[in-house]
Amino acid sequence: MTFQTEGARINHTPVIRRFTLPGLLLLFFLSLLLLPLFLSPLWIRIATEVLMWAGLAQSWNVIGGYTGYLSFGHGAFFGVGAYATGILMVHLGWPFGIGLFFSGVLSAFLALLIGYPTLRLRGAYFAIATWAFGELLRQVATILDITGGAYGLQLPAFLNLPFFYYIMLGVTGLTYLTIYLLLERARFGYRLLAIREHEEAAEMVGVDTVSIKIQAFALSAFFPGIIGGINAYWVTYIHPDSVLRADITDFMVVMAFLGGIGSLWGPFLGAVVVQLVQRVLWLVWGEGTFYLVIIGAAICSVVLFIPNGLIGVLEGQIFKPKEAIKELKKKVKW
Amino acid sequence: MILLESLNLVKSFGGVAAIDRLSLTVEKGMILGIIGPNGSGKTTFFNLVTGIFTPDSGKVLFHGKDVTGFRPHRIAKLGIGRTFQVPAPFSKMTVLENVMVSTFIHARTMKMAKEQAKKILGLVRLEEKADQQVLNVTLEDRKRLELARALGTQPSLLLLDEVMAGLTPAEVKASIELIRSLRTKDLTIIVVEHIMDVILSLCDRLAVLDYGSKIAEDIPDRVVNNPEVIKAYLGEHYRARN
Amino acid sequence: MELLFQTVIDGLLIGGLIIVVGIGFSLCFGVMHIVDFAVGEWVMLGAYLGYLLVAYFGYDPMVFLPLIFLIFCGLGWLIYPLIYRAVSGKRHNPVIMGLVFTFGLSIIAKGGALSIWGHHIKSITTWLSGKSIMLGIGTVPALRFSGFVFGILVTIIFMIFLYKTRAGIIIRATAQDRDTASLMGVDVRRTGAFVYSLYAGITGMSGVLIGSLFSIHAAMGAKYTTLAFFVVVLAGMGYVPGVIIAALVLGLLQSFVGVYVGGRYTLAALFIVMYGVLLITPKGILRRGI
Ligand SMILES: Nc1ncnc2c1ncn2[C@@H]1O[C@H](COP(=O)(O)OP(=O)(O)OP(=O)(O)O)[C@@H](O)[C@H]1O
Ligand SMILES: [Mg+2]
Repeated sequence: MTFQTEGARINHTPVIRRFTLPGLLLLFFLSLLLLPLFLSPLWIRIATEVLMWAGLAQSWNVIGGYTGYLSFGHGAFFGVGAYATGILMVHLGWPFGIGLFFSGVLSAFLALLIGYPTLRLRGAYFAIATWAFGELLRQVATILDITGGAYGLQLPAFLNLPFFYYIMLGVTGLTYLTIYLLLERARFGYRLLAIREHEEAAEMVGVDTVSIKIQAFALSAFFPGIIGGINAYWVTYIHPDSVLRADITDFMVVMAFLGGIGSLWGPFLGAVVVQLVQRVLWLVWGEGTFYLVIIGAAICSVVLFIPNGLIGVLEGQIFKPKEAIKELKKKVKW
Repeated sequence: MILLESLNLVKSFGGVAAIDRLSLTVEKGMILGIIGPNGSGKTTFFNLVTGIFTPDSGKVLFHGKDVTGFRPHRIAKLGIGRTFQVPAPFSKMTVLENVMVSTFIHARTMKMAKEQAKKILGLVRLEEKADQQVLNVTLEDRKRLELARALGTQPSLLLLDEVMAGLTPAEVKASIELIRSLRTKDLTIIVVEHIMDVILSLCDRLAVLDYGSKIAEDIPDRVVNNPEVIKAYLGEHYRARN
Repeated sequence: MELLFQTVIDGLLIGGLIIVVGIGFSLCFGVMHIVDFAVGEWVMLGAYLGYLLVAYFGYDPMVFLPLIFLIFCGLGWLIYPLIYRAVSGKRHNPVIMGLVFTFGLSIIAKGGALSIWGHHIKSITTWLSGKSIMLGIGTVPALRFSGFVFGILVTIIFMIFLYKTRAGIIIRATAQDRDTASLMGVDVRRTGAFVYSLYAGITGMSGVLIGSLFSIHAAMGAKYTTLAFFVVVLAGMGYVPGVIIAALVLGLLQSFVGVYVGGRYTLAALFIVMYGVLLITPKGILRRGI
C-alpha cells in the first residue's frame, strides 16, 4: 500500500504531517512493543492504562472531534463492552477473543440505534441523548440479573500483566491505524470534516450526512466496546460503579480536548498528560474526589484558552523544518 | 425540453409566506435570471429546489420526476448544484480539498477526485490557491470556490445565489465571462442577482419575485420595462441608487 | 381509584417543579443558543445552599427563597462572561463549545460538592414536612403541594415578565432573531447575562424545594439535567409554552411508572419515550423546535 504524503490530511501543519507518516506510526508502536522489557510491573500497569485511555480518547475524538457531534455518554460503550465480554465468558463460556469482538460489534450496534434518531438533527440533541443513554445503562445494569445487579460480575481471573499490556497495545494501535487510514487518508475523513465545517454545504455537494454521521458514531463506539472487554478481563471484577461510572466519559472528553480535538495525536497526548497528572495527584492527595474539580476546570480552561488543545499550542511553537527550509529557499534563491 | 419545474410551491415561516404559490419552468440549456427585492424569497426558492427546506405544499419536478422533499444529497446526485449566498466553505480545509469533497460524488478514487478538482479549479482560475487554507483567501476567491464546489458535482442545473455581490466591477466582469464560458447545452443555469447589468448581459429569460410570488417573466428587456416590475422593484432600486 | 388519583396528583405536583427547571433551561437555549449542561448542578447547589442556611440560621427554608434567588442570580452573572467567551470569538462551533464548557462546569460542581459534603445524604426539614392537605377525594403532602404552587407561581410571574415587560420583550426579540435585535439597539451580550442570571436564580431556588422534597446529594443533579433535557425534547428547544405541557407530561409519566412499574424503571421509561418522540417527530411533539 502506498500513501501520498500530501493526501487527505486533517492537520495541515508540517509538524503533524511528519508525525502522521505511517512509518513513524509503526516505529512508535514497535518501540512500545519492547517497553515491558524495561519496566517494573507498576509501570507496565500504568502504561497499559495510558494505552487504554489513549484508545478511548481517540474513539471519542472520531465523533466529537472529527465530526463535531459531542457524545456525552461514550463511557457507556466501554461499559457495554465490559459487561458483554463478562457475560459471554461467565454465562456462555465463550473464549475471551470472540467475546471481545462481539463486544465491539454490540457497542457499534447500540451506537446505530442511538444515532439513528438523534443524528438526523443538528445541535444539542445528540449530546443530550447520548448522555441520557449513559445514565440509562448504569441504571439498567443495576436492575438486571444477568449483569449481577449492583453486585456486578466476577470474570475468570487471568493474572498476566504483559498479556494485557500487549493486547491493549494491539487494540489501541489498531484504533489509531484505522482512524489514520479512514479519517486522515480516505474520503470518509474528508466528508466528516466537511460535515463538521458546514453541514448544509456538505449535503449540497452530495454527502449523505446522516448516514456518514451514523457510521462515524458506530466506528467511535466499536473500539471502546473492545477496550471495555479487555478492561473487564484485566480487572476481573466489574460492577455498575466501576465500568459504567460517569467519569469515564468525562475523562475521554478532557483528554481529547486537552490534547486537541480533530487531530490524530491530540487524544494520545491528552491521555498521557492526564494519566500522569492524575497519578501524581493521587500520590499527593490520595484517592479523593477533588480530581473531578480538576478535570472540570481543565475542560473549561481548554475551551477558554486553548480551544485547539496542546497539539495546537505545540504547532504554534515547535520548529517547523519544512517551512523553515521554504523560507530559507526564498531568501537565498539558489 | 423542460428541465426544472416548480408547481404552486408554498413555504411559510411562522405564518408568513416566504414563497407563495410559485410556479416556474426552466428550459434545458437556458440561463434564467431571478430578481426581486430583499426578502422576496429568491434564496428560499433555491432552498426548496435543493431540498434544504421541504415545501408546505406544491411540487418540484426535475427532468419530469417529482423530487419534492428529497434530501439535499440526493438532489445533488441527480444533478443540481448550488452556491450559497453567504459563502459556506469548509473552513479548516484547503481550497483543493473543498472541491474534492464534491468531486467524490462521481470520482471512483481519491486520485481521480483530485484530478477533477484541479481541473475545475483551473476553470475558475483558482489553481494557484489550491493548497491554501480557505481561512486565508479573499472574498472573491471564496465566491469562486463556491462556484467550483458546485461544479464539482457535475451538475446539469446550476443555481447561483448572488455570486457577484460584494465584488468590484472588474471582478464582476470577469465573473460574467466565467459564467458565460460555463454555459453549454448540457448546463442550465439559474442566476439570482441584484446587479442589473449582470442579469441583462447573461440571461435569456428573467423572472421577477415579489413577496414570494412571480410577478413577471419574459425576456429581460421586456421585463425591465414592465411597469409593475418597476413599481415593485426596479424603481425603488434605482431611486435608492440615486 | 384512590391510587390512580394519588398518582395523577403526584405527577402533576412534580411536574410543577419540573416546569421551573425546564423553563430557564429552555430560555437559555432560545436566547443565547447555550445548552447548559450544568442545569441539574444548579438545582443541586441550590439544595445544598438551602440546607446550609437552614442548618446555620435554623429558620424555615422557605424564608430564604428570595435570598437564594439573589445569590444564584449573582453567581450566574459572574459565570456568564466566561460562557460568553467560550461561545464567541473565533471558535467555529459555538453550540459545541458552550456544551463542553458547561459540561466542565457540571463536573466542577459535582466534584466540589462531593469533596465538601462527601457521599452522605442530607435533607431539609420545613414546617410543611409531614403535613398534608385534603384535596378532593384524597390527601396530598403539603410540601409537594407547596412545591407545585411555587412552580406555578414562578411560571406565571415569569410569563408576565416575558410577555408584558420591556425587558421581557427585548428577551423575546433576541430569541427570535439575534442579529435584527442587535441592529435595533439591543445589547445582546447584556441581555444574555441577564437571562443567564435569571435562569440560575430560578433554578437554584427550585433546588431548595426539590431538596426539601427529596434527598440531597452531590449526584442528584443528573436527574434534573435529564428531566430538563427531556422537557425540551418534548417541547422543542426554546419554546416556552411547550415547556409547561411537557413538564406536566413528564411528571405524570414519572409518577405512573414509579407507582405501577417500579421506581428503578423511570429513567428507562423516560428514555424510551424520548427515543420514540425523536424518532417520530424530530422537532418535538409540539413541532416548534430549532
Ligand atoms: N430559515 C428561515 N427561518 C425563518 N424565516 C426565513 C428563513 N429563511 C428565509 N426566511 C424569510 O423568508 C423571506 C424570504 O427570504 P429569502 O432569503 O428567500 O429572500 P431573498 O429574496 O433571498 O432576499 P435577499 O435578496 O436579501 O437575499 C424573508 O422574509 C426571510 O426573513
Ligand atoms: Mg437571498
